[in-house]
Amino acid sequence: MEYAVEVENLVKKYGDFTAVRGISFRVRRGEIFAFLGPNGAGKTTTVHVLTTLLKPNGGTAFVAGHDVVREPMEVRRRIGIVFQDPSLDRELTAYENMYIHGRIYGYSGEGLRKKIERLLKFVELWEFKDRPVKFFSGGMQRRLEIARSLLHEPEILFLDEPTIGLDPQTRAHIWEYIRAMKEEQDMTIFLTTHYMDEAEQLADRIAIMDYGRIIAEGTADELKKLVGNDVIYLRMEEPEEGVKCLNADFIRGCKVMPDGRVRLDVQNAGEAVPKLFELAQEKGVRILEVTYHRPTLNDVFLHLTGREIRDEGGEQSTARMIMRARMRRR
Amino acid sequence: MRVFTTMIYREMKRFIRSKARVIGSLINPVIWLVLFGKGWAGAFNFPGASMIFGGVDYMTYLVPGIVAMTVFNMSFIQGITIIWDKQFGFIKEILVAPASRGEAILGRITGGAIMAMIQGVIILALSFFIASGLKLSGVLPALALSFLVGLAVAGMGVAIAMRMSSMEGFQMIMTMIMLPMTFLSGAFYPVKTMPEWMQWLAKVNPLTYAVDGSRYYLAGVSPAFSLRTDWTVLTGLALLFMGIAVVEFRKATID
Repeated sequence: MEYAVEVENLVKKYGDFTAVRGISFRVRRGEIFAFLGPNGAGKTTTVHVLTTLLKPNGGTAFVAGHDVVREPMEVRRRIGIVFQDPSLDRELTAYENMYIHGRIYGYSGEGLRKKIERLLKFVELWEFKDRPVKFFSGGMQRRLEIARSLLHEPEILFLDEPTIGLDPQTRAHIWEYIRAMKEEQDMTIFLTTHYMDEAEQLADRIAIMDYGRIIAEGTADELKKLVGNDVIYLRMEEPEEGVKCLNADFIRGCKVMPDGRVRLDVQNAGEAVPKLFELAQEKGVRILEVTYHRPTLNDVFLHLTGREIRDEGGEQSTARMIMRARMRRR
Repeated sequence: MRVFTTMIYREMKRFIRSKARVIGSLINPVIWLVLFGKGWAGAFNFPGASMIFGGVDYMTYLVPGIVAMTVFNMSFIQGITIIWDKQFGFIKEILVAPASRGEAILGRITGGAIMAMIQGVIILALSFFIASGLKLSGVLPALALSFLVGLAVAGMGVAIAMRMSSMEGFQMIMTMIMLPMTFLSGAFYPVKTMPEWMQWLAKVNPLTYAVDGSRYYLAGVSPAFSLRTDWTVLTGLALLFMGIAVVEFRKATID
């Protein structure tokens, strides 16, 4: 079996709201595959369908060769998941959390004890094993959840926003574990993230998701090629509307930024910049500032959607609205 | 069976860890027992008063009611706090596991009922120091009845909690369900001297049968219903509510 996950036309609705609008993708065995997209794009919903927690409204999804709707038990046996929100027993110790998980998955005795020891050492929590989880920092809790998800040796591991809300050092630390897991255990890892650097650092392939659709898919390099090779930002002195984009055939894309700068996608910035000055002079526009850089995944997202990935929207703001409505009712 | 016992183990660990909460929850029945009980015991200390209470003094009459109330309250809380598991994510852990959901939730309920019963045992042990007419021989059957109430009520708590989406309704449910059911159980005064409409409500209250039966075993007061009725009703309700909880939990998805 070549693919760890095969999804065809998957649809998931909540009442009138369609969270996932017919997505199709495949995850190869042994790769790290990332869903990248802003909050509310439908990433978590997709993960919940793939992990048998939600029933889809349409389409098919196979995980580890089994249909998530028809054979949920077979799927559950083969997957591990670290949820976006913590799902630990806060009153219990790290060891007890691991122990209960192991028992539920059918392990016991000395074998279980050894596995727990090995995994808690792997995430460097063995010395804190008898401390209740409520005294753990966010990073420690995440590490414990990662260790717990590995306990039953899943074929496919789902990580839903594994480093959300963690400080940069802790994030880098978690990334190391994820890489080590892939190397040592030859595991397929499916992760969702709204951090571009995370997708870029970890993933073999990335699917960019927005408003319930996959809008692009490929390696980080392949995705960046969608933009062109380089991105140039220009600040000009009061350009007229028509000349803002300095139309020329070497400019592959153009967008006026909210701060007034103009963003140009070009093949090679080094060659394009002198040409731009010539063009500007012809049209009687003064260029005040030029910056350029290699495209990032954020540029890709901007190129595809016209928005930045960091824009907050969807889930988060909906959640806030609901909260506000609740407060008012009281 | 492994998931079932694991869930009981988890309840036990959580119970031991939350000492403050356990001790705090024992204060309530102790206050009823000592302040309410001793207060009325003095007032009912006139000749013939014991006739009202089936031939025993008021303290002895009250104890089985307070013990049943303790188990009832605790198991309801144990059951309904599954909403915390829902909110803090432990439920998701169970739902993605290749384990029988029915077994898991029955383990959760049974664990809750056992922990509630342990609190009942503590209250009962204290009661032997302040009520003179209690019978040691009645302890086991009375606790068995309490355990059935525990299963029924923890199951009821789980079933309610599975339909709640937040903690908002929690306080209201506690007041709307637990308080009236306690007063309508005959724990504090006989059912047969209640107004008729209250008697009707008492008869549909599972706690009534636990109080009735354990009062016979612990205090020797002849039961208002037959013992067979007490056992049958409680067993039936335990099975019914556990069944509902299993059905609700099997259907559970996450929001």
